[in-house]
Order: sequence, then C-alpha cells, then structure tokens
Amino acid sequence: MLSEKRLSFLIDNLIWIILIVVFTFFVTQSEHFLTERNISNILTAAAVLGVLVVGQTFVLISGNFDLSTESTMGLGAMLGLWLIVPAAAPTFGGGIFLNPFLAIGAVLLTGAAIGYAVGCLITFGRMHNFIVTLAVLLIVRGFILAFSEGAPVNGFNNPSAEVFYWLGHQKAFFIPGVGNITVAVIATGLLFLVSHFILQHHKFGRELYAIGGNRKAAEQLGINANRRIRQVYMISGLLAALAGWMLAGRVVSIQSNLGEGFIFTVFAGAVIGGVSLQGGRGTMLGALGGVLLLSTIDRGLNLMHVSVFWVKVIQGLIILVAMFLDAQRVRLRELSLPVVSYTSEKKSESET
Amino acid sequence: MNYLEMKDITKNFGAINALQGVDFNIKAGEAVGLMGDNGAGKSTLMKIIAGNLRPSSGEISVQGKEAVFSNPLDARRLGIEIVYQDLALCDNLTAAANVFLGRELRSGFGIIHRLKHAAMNERSAELFKELKSETRPKDLVERMSGGQRQAVALARTRLSDPKLVLLDEPTAAISVRQVAEVLARIAQLRDTGHAVILVSHRMGDVFEVCDRVAVLRRGRKIADKPIRKSSPEEVTGLITGALEAA
Repeated sequence: MLSEKRLSFLIDNLIWIILIVVFTFFVTQSEHFLTERNISNILTAAAVLGVLVVGQTFVLISGNFDLSTESTMGLGAMLGLWLIVPAAAPTFGGGIFLNPFLAIGAVLLTGAAIGYAVGCLITFGRMHNFIVTLAVLLIVRGFILAFSEGAPVNGFNNPSAEVFYWLGHQKAFFIPGVGNITVAVIATGLLFLVSHFILQHHKFGRELYAIGGNRKAAEQLGINANRRIRQVYMISGLLAALAGWMLAGRVVSIQSNLGEGFIFTVFAGAVIGGVSLQGGRGTMLGALGGVLLLSTIDRGLNLMHVSVFWVKVIQGLIILVAMFLDAQRVRLRELSLPVVSYTSEKKSESET
Repeated sequence: MNYLEMKDITKNFGAINALQGVDFNIKAGEAVGLMGDNGAGKSTLMKIIAGNLRPSSGEISVQGKEAVFSNPLDARRLGIEIVYQDLALCDNLTAAANVFLGRELRSGFGIIHRLKHAAMNERSAELFKELKSETRPKDLVERMSGGQRQAVALARTRLSDPKLVLLDEPTAAISVRQVAEVLARIAQLRDTGHAVILVSHRMGDVFEVCDRVAVLRRGRKIADKPIRKSSPEEVTGLITGALEAA
C-alpha cells in the first residue's frame, strides 16, 4: 500500500510518468522519432498549444473555463495579417498597410478586450461561464467568416508580413540532439516560467487557488473574486491572441476556420497535466507536461503513418482519458484523506 | 467608551427586512452573546460588523469615529476579526496559506513581489503553538480534523492584534473537549481586553463566558441585558416569542 505522501506525489506527477512511457513507446516504433528534426517539431508544435493552455490553466484554477479562446486565436492571426497586407489577390488583406508592430499591438489588444468582455459578462451579468464563452466562441468565429467572406488571408512575399511571421517562424539557435529551437518555443518556455512563478509565489496566484477552492471563503476574507475572474479571462484572451500571432508564422496562409476544434486539445492538455476542472488544483508545470504529451502523441502518430481518420478517434480517446484521470485524481485524493472528524474524536473522548 | 457602536441599523434584501432599527454596542474587555432563532438576523448583523455586507441605513462608529466598511479588509484594518461558522477555509490550500489568506507576507514592491512562504509558515507554527494545536503549517486543510480546522480559523484572528473578535457558532461542529478549549480561549480574549461577540445557539456557552446577552427576533433587537440579570429560561422565551421583550 502506498503511503499518503507517495500517493500524493504520484497523483501530482503522473503526467511525467505517462510522458516518459509514451515517448519511449514512439522511440521503439519509429526510427525517425528520436531525431533532431522530430524533437524540434514536437517543441515547435507544442508552442502554440502551450500558450493557449497557459491561459486556460489560469481560468481553470479560478474555477472557471473559457471555450472562446480558439476563435480568438483565429481572429488574432487573421486580423493581424489583414491589417498589414494589400487587398488585392493573392493576399486578400484589408489594404490598410498598417505597421506590423502596430498590427501586433492591435491583435493583442483585441484578444485582451474580448477576454475582458467575457469576464464582465460572467461577473457583472451573472451569466454562466459555459454559455457566455460558447456564445463568444460562435460570435467571434462568425465574425471571422463574415469579415473574410470565407477567403484566406495570405502574406506571400510581403516584407511587412514577414515581420508579423517572425514569432512563429524564426529559428533562434540550434542545440545538438534537440535540433533548431524557434523563437516561439523560447517565448512559450518563458511564458510557462513566469506563469509558474505567478501561480506559486505571487499573491495573484494564491488568490486564484483560493477562489477556485472555496470562492465564498475567499470573498469572506476580502478577496475580490469577480475582479480576479475578469483578469483571468483577460489574460486568457490576450494569450489566445498571442497564440494566433504565433500560429500565423507557422501556417502563413490564414484560413477562416483556423483553430476550429482546437479548444478540446487545449482542455485535454491542461487536464491531463493535472489541472482540475473543479478549480483550485493543478500547476503550470503539470500543464506543460500535458502539452508536451499531446505534441509527442501527435508527432508520433504522424511518423507511424496512422490514418488521419484514426487520429481523430485517438484525439477523442485522449480527451476521454483526460476526463477519466481528472475523476480518478478526485477519487484518489478522497481515498487518501483521513477518516476523521467527529466519529473518531468523540470515540476517543468516550474512551477517556 | 464603547469600542463599537451601531445605531439604527437596517438591512433589506429586496422586500425582506433582515434587520430593522437595531442598536448594538460593545466595550473592550466585554463578551456579548448574540442569540436568536434561525432568520432572526444574527448572521446579517455579524456580516455588517465584519464588512461583508453594508447596512441599508444606520451608523457605525469604531472607537468614537464613524466607520464605513466597504469590504472585510476595511473591518480588519480597524481591528475587527471574525471566525465564520463554516470557518471560511480553502481545503485545497495549506494551513499557513489559509491563515494568511488576503494578508500574505511579501517581499518586493507593489505588483512586483514574491510571497514569503518561510516566514508565513514560521509565524503560523507559532500561532498554532499558542493555541496548543498540533496543526502543522504545511498540511493541507482538507486532511485536517474539525479541531485543527478550528485552530486555523482562530489563528487568523491572532495575526494582527484584534480589538474585536466575532465568533459565529464556534462550537457548533466540534467535540465536547474542544468546546471547553474554545470557551477558555474566548474567556482569555475577554480577560486580555478584547471585545468578543459570540453568536451561538448553545445557551450554556453564552452563559458561561459572556457578560451580556442580546436577543434578536425577526430582525429586531428585543433584549440586551447583563447575563447576571437574565436566565436561560428567559432567553429561551425571548427567542421563541413566549416573552415579548426584556
């Protein structure tokens, strides 16, 4: 029987054990898996997902969730490029020729504004977060389609667009055995590091855990839960726009359905990494593990030439596994709790 | 001089009058029992004193100065601490994190800061020792017994030097032995010059440690008299409505 401490350690670090097992499995299945090119691809693919997962982790820990981020990401990518490139074919932009740095600012500001609006609707409007974020998901996606009339925006051979692509495109340096490290990977790594610090060592993070764990208690102690919730949605929106900017550099041509369905992968990444859907539990490092696991599985299946149809099935199964793990974590935690309180205390009293 | 003085306090929730023209005061070194049936307005009055609710009308003064509490932190700054009936604990956090919740020790400036985990753990351990509790600062609250949870909630009130301590049903969910400990702590607080308001359904507790008893019924204060001039029978009659007022 595992001791309480070991069980707790196992629950908290399950993701890293799973990651090692899955990684080893793919190494044995494909000779191309452990190559510099593939490791670099895993990390690069994890970067965009990672940015979205960071935002979602803040929201989940506060006891909420945000379905709208995939649409905000799509909008961020398309809006940025649209502001930069000419209106004529083949770029189909807005013909505004905005400075790319201003376009990046506009993208981030738009994301933060969408997130803040979502937070306001939930806190001031007292509306359910599921309905609000689902509605915003549809509104923003609909806006992208109406705005682009379904046509892609491209940045072919456009010097300003190249600046916009920099974050998702640029290689930073080479590490032997790991391959090329892109700016996106470094940015996402730094984002995880800063977010980890905020959650573990900053008052903001401490208050998010308190709100997610027992919102009523947090409010009784003077924590303004509604303000914090608006802030986490704003962070989530901002990071979704950042992910969009990052993704634009990878796909170059921005389709109106960019990022559609991605939200399930984001939830799976966070939850597999130990972030609870119930709120108040999970860490940024665990979420990072979830992101690396999903990226590893994605690349591994690709190298094993698994049919795209089966990949969909596997992705669905991964989401199921994530939910199962979340439920089991709650069960294991309950099992490891001491059966105390009144019965045992009263028994000891009657004995004395 | 009264430490806390409340005049003509009214609190309405829509069409419901939770409190109607309630006057209440308490001196330093005094323990007052606040009694009443469910829905009498005890919790509403406590929440107003603790800064969780703002009165619809009426005046509050602390040490002779008018006070307006827009949130619990305002009340805490004026030396008012509360132990809620449900203890207001976050099960997912450690004992020390709960003790310091909302008042974390930090190093740095403004928004750029770092929590001082070691200092908070150390101070919490001292507080638990003072409370003669075996609670460990790094233990998660969800793994604690009823008595340990109570110790965490009580430790919060000792972080600063409170002038007024509100206790909402502190003995409702603990064992007989722990009830005696809590009552001893209340007596100790009173004897060391603190004002204490005890909300309780347990008549024995109020008559054991309080100097005065105030009774609320349907949002109105119907009695406020020294314990030595009252009796459990009279208070029961006042709570149930068998007696009109005293």
